[in-house]
Amino acid sequence: MSGVARSARQWRAASAGNGVLFLLIALLIALTLGMAQLEPLFRALFPDLGNPLYARDSFLNLMLAHIGLVLVSSLISVTIGIAAGLFVTRPVGREFEPMVSSLAAIGQTFPPAAVLAIAVPLAGFGFAPTIIALSLYGLLPVIQNTIAGLGTVPQTTLEAARGNGMSRWQILRRVELPLAMRVIIAGIRVSVIINIGTATIGSTVGAKSLGTPLIAGLVGNNLAYVIQGALLVGLLAIVTDLLFERLERRYSFGGQA
Amino acid sequence: MIELQGLTKTYAGKNVVEDVSMTLETGEFGVLIGPSGCGKSTTLKMINRLVPLSSGRIILNGDDVTELPAEQLRRRIGYAIQSTGLFPHWSVARNIATVPQLLKWSKSRIDDRVDELMAMFHLDPAEFRDKYPHQLSGGQAQRVGVARALAADPEVLLMDEPFGAVDPITREALQAEMRRVHGQTGKTIVFVTHDMDEALQLATRIALLNNGRLVQYDRPIEMMVKPADDFVREFFGQADLGLKLLSRRWVHQYQRPPSLTHHATLPGLDHCWRLDEAGRPIVLEGARLDDQHQHTDVRSEWIATPEMSMKEALSRMVWYRVMVLPVVDETGKLIGEVGMQGIMGIESDGGLHAGGPAS
Repeated sequence: MSGVARSARQWRAASAGNGVLFLLIALLIALTLGMAQLEPLFRALFPDLGNPLYARDSFLNLMLAHIGLVLVSSLISVTIGIAAGLFVTRPVGREFEPMVSSLAAIGQTFPPAAVLAIAVPLAGFGFAPTIIALSLYGLLPVIQNTIAGLGTVPQTTLEAARGNGMSRWQILRRVELPLAMRVIIAGIRVSVIINIGTATIGSTVGAKSLGTPLIAGLVGNNLAYVIQGALLVGLLAIVTDLLFERLERRYSFGGQA
Repeated sequence: MIELQGLTKTYAGKNVVEDVSMTLETGEFGVLIGPSGCGKSTTLKMINRLVPLSSGRIILNGDDVTELPAEQLRRRIGYAIQSTGLFPHWSVARNIATVPQLLKWSKSRIDDRVDELMAMFHLDPAEFRDKYPHQLSGGQAQRVGVARALAADPEVLLMDEPFGAVDPITREALQAEMRRVHGQTGKTIVFVTHDMDEALQLATRIALLNNGRLVQYDRPIEMMVKPADDFVREFFGQADLGLKLLSRRWVHQYQRPPSLTHHATLPGLDHCWRLDEAGRPIVLEGARLDDQHQHTDVRSEWIATPEMSMKEALSRMVWYRVMVLPVVDETGKLIGEVGMQGIMGIESDGGLHAGGPAS
């Protein structure tokens, strides 16, 4: 009986969560497409500003560019991060584990602005240096969680997999990765959320993103621009986080949940 | 049949397993036992090469499999460990299907096999197929573990302390089930335990290891009556192990033809049975503990049947002060006799290792 009651409660909680998620997604889309409709509001809030609505580019373009930056950099972080995590947990790469971990940690201690400053002379202005900075910045959580996630797979489970005649590759694909997936996804989640926020500073070196109105607002002392950019970045981060939470939940098995 | 020839494992210059050789005939239940650190588990894992061999050979049904790729070898050998060895992200059915899937059986063949195994272990497929390991009790998880190990009908089944993590009552039930499954499938089994009771319940052969060496390899009763050295004697000589062992042995395993004339077949045991017209025993001449030639009327209280446990038979001999019991069939006809000497192993014939109560 208690099991039934619990699952009913979980179901209600989940459906309430769904409601919040859909509401936030709707709000994000509405603001992205219809920020211009709020011009009277911003005019009322900031009567001193001659131009209270950022209009040099559409917010849809900025949003898509921002998502593009995050997607590309996260894809790079995740690919390199998981590959590195896998490498150092295999017998051949085990001795590189401390080195890879500290390299990734160093990548995180650099302020992204500093990485941008170094990347610009190497890669020029715009998209490329931003991608480099974001990819480096997002690497650590992915590597760390890949190593940690693979470490949670019980030794007895691995022994059973070997004892039943699975090859190394089959053990990795059928047992280790599925069991580690929840922790790995948690790492990707942190990495992506960090990058959604950090991508805004790409605008300082000319990459188009939701940071563009933000930076313009800061430079031109236009608080309305800052709010418009920050609102969308914040919403995007929250929605993404909720989506990842959902994805993580799919990979919990019994005792681990 | 599986043959181990001179298995040796060296870690850092030290032999943890040294020159272990033994042969297990098809259908035998071999138990590796010994104090902790004796190398029993290492020996088991060398059979499916979870622990690589330093030297030695393994012959499986006549094939030398020492050089066979480990994955191929392991798909021919079942492997069961404690319940935590189930894959937590797979359903019961998928766990059982692990090796058949690796062997690329067709889906219908796998489904049939899974149902068959679940039935063998009294797990209702409708209820358990789609459950996950964390939804099972310890005993159920362990049954699934053994079912998985048997799934592809392996030539040999290895079990590494499979019942070590369950409570005593569940363990007893699992042991009874294991005896039944062993009887049904006739599998050759190599089983590691540190629990002497478990070994005596299950084994047809016991291998006792100490410090990485095989001290003695024999039938359980031989280990007790003919220990190779003091270590074996001490290891087996705990309190009532002898009686425990007899409670798992059956009169028909010790039965011999009845002595119908006075003829000393055994030293100090001259006796004969008098029968009535229907062949029922009525009088025992001789074989009393106190007087060799006294006549004793046969009474139902000290008659044995083939299905009686040897513990009970021994108890009747002691209580009624006779050296032999008549063994009768359902009609009361004398079909054999069983005596003290038989229990002591003097006449332990081939029937001894022919199996436990299942046979």
